[in-house]
Amino acid sequence: MTTVAALPPRARRSVASRTWAFVKRHALTVYALLVVGYLMLPIAVVIMFSFNHPTGRFNYVWNEFTFSNWFHWNDVLGIQDAIVRSLEVGLLATIVATALGTLMALAIVRHHFVGRGATNVLVFLPMSTPEIVLGASLLTLFLNTTAVFQLGFITIFIAHVMFIVSFVVVTVKARLIGFDRHLEEAAMDLGANEVTTFRKVTLPLIAPAMLAAALLGFALSIDDFVITYFNAGGTQTFPIFVWGIARVAVPPQVNVIASAIFIVAIAIALTNVFWEYRSAKRTRGAT
Amino acid sequence: MGTFFHRHRGATPYLLLAPGVLWLAIFFVIPLAFLGYESLQSGLFPNFEFTWQFSNFSDGIRDYHTQLLRSFVYAGIATLACLVLAYPLVYWIAFRAGAWRNLFLLFIVAPFFVTYLVRTLAWLNILADEGPVVGILRDLHILGPDGRLLATTFAVVSGITYNFFPFMALPIYVSLEQMDARLLEAAKDLYASPIQAFIRVTLPLSAPGIVAGTLLTFIPAAGDFINAALLGTPNQAMIGNVIQSKFLESLDYPSAAALSFILMGLILVALLVYARIVGSERLTG
Amino acid sequence: MNPRLTRNELLRRGAAGGALLAFPSLLAACGGGGGDSSSSGEVNDVLNFSNWPYYIDTPDSLKAAGLTGVPTTLKQFETKTKIKVNYYEDINSNSEYFGTIQGRLRNGDGIGRDIIVSTDNDRYLGQYLNNDWALKLDKDLIPNISNLIPAQASPPFDPNREYTLPWFSGMDGIAWNEEVTEPITTVTQLLTDPKLKGRVGVWNSMGDTLGLIMLENGDDPAKVTDETFDRAIAVVQKAQDAGQIRRFYGNDYAQPLAKGDLAASMAWSGDIFLLNDPKVKWGIAKSGGIIFTDNMLIPLGGSVPTASTYMNFVYDPKIAAQLALGAGYISSVAGVKDEAAKLNPDAADNTLVFPTDEMLGQLHQNDPTMFSNPDYEKKWLAVQGK
Repeated sequence: MTTVAALPPRARRSVASRTWAFVKRHALTVYALLVVGYLMLPIAVVIMFSFNHPTGRFNYVWNEFTFSNWFHWNDVLGIQDAIVRSLEVGLLATIVATALGTLMALAIVRHHFVGRGATNVLVFLPMSTPEIVLGASLLTLFLNTTAVFQLGFITIFIAHVMFIVSFVVVTVKARLIGFDRHLEEAAMDLGANEVTTFRKVTLPLIAPAMLAAALLGFALSIDDFVITYFNAGGTQTFPIFVWGIARVAVPPQVNVIASAIFIVAIAIALTNVFWEYRSAKRTRGAT
Repeated sequence: MGTFFHRHRGATPYLLLAPGVLWLAIFFVIPLAFLGYESLQSGLFPNFEFTWQFSNFSDGIRDYHTQLLRSFVYAGIATLACLVLAYPLVYWIAFRAGAWRNLFLLFIVAPFFVTYLVRTLAWLNILADEGPVVGILRDLHILGPDGRLLATTFAVVSGITYNFFPFMALPIYVSLEQMDARLLEAAKDLYASPIQAFIRVTLPLSAPGIVAGTLLTFIPAAGDFINAALLGTPNQAMIGNVIQSKFLESLDYPSAAALSFILMGLILVALLVYARIVGSERLTG
Repeated sequence: MNPRLTRNELLRRGAAGGALLAFPSLLAACGGGGGDSSSSGEVNDVLNFSNWPYYIDTPDSLKAAGLTGVPTTLKQFETKTKIKVNYYEDINSNSEYFGTIQGRLRNGDGIGRDIIVSTDNDRYLGQYLNNDWALKLDKDLIPNISNLIPAQASPPFDPNREYTLPWFSGMDGIAWNEEVTEPITTVTQLLTDPKLKGRVGVWNSMGDTLGLIMLENGDDPAKVTDETFDRAIAVVQKAQDAGQIRRFYGNDYAQPLAKGDLAASMAWSGDIFLLNDPKVKWGIAKSGGIIFTDNMLIPLGGSVPTASTYMNFVYDPKIAAQLALGAGYISSVAGVKDEAAKLNPDAADNTLVFPTDEMLGQLHQNDPTMFSNPDYEKKWLAVQGK
């Protein structure tokens, strides 16, 4: 009688090998948690020290818990102007950059034209140039054209749009590449022209990607130090303010603002994730 | 207006591109040209003259090759560290995290949301000489009794690693996530061990992500100066520190401009070498 | 309603809201910055004053000096002259501040300030003056200039005091954390004692650091030659190579010093006063110290009459005394110690703020020509790894 070749029977597992199997199974998880702990540690420190009431000027030793830093967050001279400026520049630059970048992404993905490769390179270059070079070269431009560009809010705005645009293009492009053109064709078959189709079909469908790109752009803008540092003139954004005050002593209010930005950002990110989830459900249902 | 676009279909891409390209042309390309012009100037602030001063470049390399080399070494080590640290984490998120994956992705991105300077300053607190971390390391005799973590190469490279971690992690995650899990199953069916499956299936398929992550981490890291300024001594000064001080302290714009171009040039060379190895479409997409 | 469009709506509304938020800044930016000063012959009703942080009396600092309830000097100025003061603490470094304003000054434009402050032992004060970026004071409006102490009457960079007037002076010395080390009283000990290795701070400003070292070398910091310069640089290089120096600091040595990351550091008297930490001690080095002075000047586009009015106000000994007590730095106004004694007899004994003649005798000034020498600048940056 022939028997089919079978795999050797499983050896009885000893305690040691079972323990080893357990460790192997969960080692990766433990590792993941450790890395996450490492990532979160400085954030925890920042938030924790925003509640500290320091004995002197320096906020490095835990003294006592207080909410007063949060209530009197704008007690430090210049901090309110700085964060307001950061938000203003961020909003404005993000809106403009998202618009410019989306248009570029549409052109690159959907059309074959002379210069497409060059455009790709042009978009890619700012992302691959060190910030210090971007900032310094822009400063050179502004210093040589002081009749037109005065260092200040406008130059910060220009700089931010410049480096955010590339990120927007890349983000929206990724979404456009997987885009189903049949929906647009259907709309046009039903009598809509290009513009109406764009408005009512394309735009809503790429809106999530635009939103993601906008959020990324805003985050980049709020956080930018190097490029802004070179081009701000006397205007202070929040990172510039922190750099200046860090020369002397960082007041807990800086931790407060940083923590607040963090909390708001997390909230927005969670909302975005939630919306994406809902929209994905709907798209699946709508076909 | 719809008919306008319809009739000028051929012009559409150019119209769409125009605003963005114009912006980049004026505020990216032209400034670089100005920088180039300035790199060939000479003289003392504020009276600079254009004199085809190519010696700015040779002087730059001669005087600062240490910092240039150091920048690339630090950036390289940090990039490698990011890769080694991030890959297992991202692998776990892509394949084992299940419902928790978005939460953990948020954990990766979260440091990004605390201002760069503030989170670097937090490390000053954490790694302080009289702080708990150094204390424990001294007790464990990993550090000598006078040992310190701050103001060392270790601190600077760690700072760079921490700050650029999301740039490495996210691209790798994207390529791992797009991988079809059935390929792994197929490998298993073909008697591959988990390690073999990883090396021959997962790793190659995640290569685009690794490439992207490496670039997104290495390039900004090479030009960074903040970590070196806050966490290091002058012996850790990177080329970014030199450029910054030449621009803003010595007001030696020609040398600073020349050094900026040298830095960019070296990065481009590294990019080209890398592109040959991995194939250029992966870079510009 | 189509749910996808509602998100689109949100985008649009958000954009409109954001644009509205940013609009005022755009307008202000087009206008060239808030509160533009004009250089007319009239005294304005606004004064824009840029200064270093912690460099003026505040309600908290006055309270610490025992002067509770006394209005700050800025408030007193506003009450007396009806001129509103926009006080900006945006100078954190002579070089960085210079970097942010030199573009406009080069173009002949104003920077939206009537008074700025720059240090005498750095290259930038000279730059402002030599490039004609400072406006002449109106001495008719500053009768109190007669209160300027003789030692400050004729500095090499402005021999007739036509463009500048001292704000505060400070002393360069050595500070140490007594919980971490024994007292450090000489520069040599600071830079060579192996017990302090890696925990020593020096300044990133050439005049201060090299000045102290030159004194230790027996050279005169007020008359720098190539030899004395190279000798001083060699000392720094040796300390650097030995790993003695932790960092070249600006004002930010105070925190590491108090924390213990630094055992000892070259330190400015005012920083130690403000630190008010009993374990951090300060003294003038045995071979002598440097005295630096931060000077007020009127940049292009500033209002000379308004600025001069303010300068006159702070040269009143009573006001100067309050400023000194509140900020912790040394005033250049005659009679300030007596006035301070009237306000708070104990505080007037603080030699950090009111140095004795003996201390003043140990203090020297830097040679201003040292700062415009590009060779020296290069060597100084090289020793810092830059």
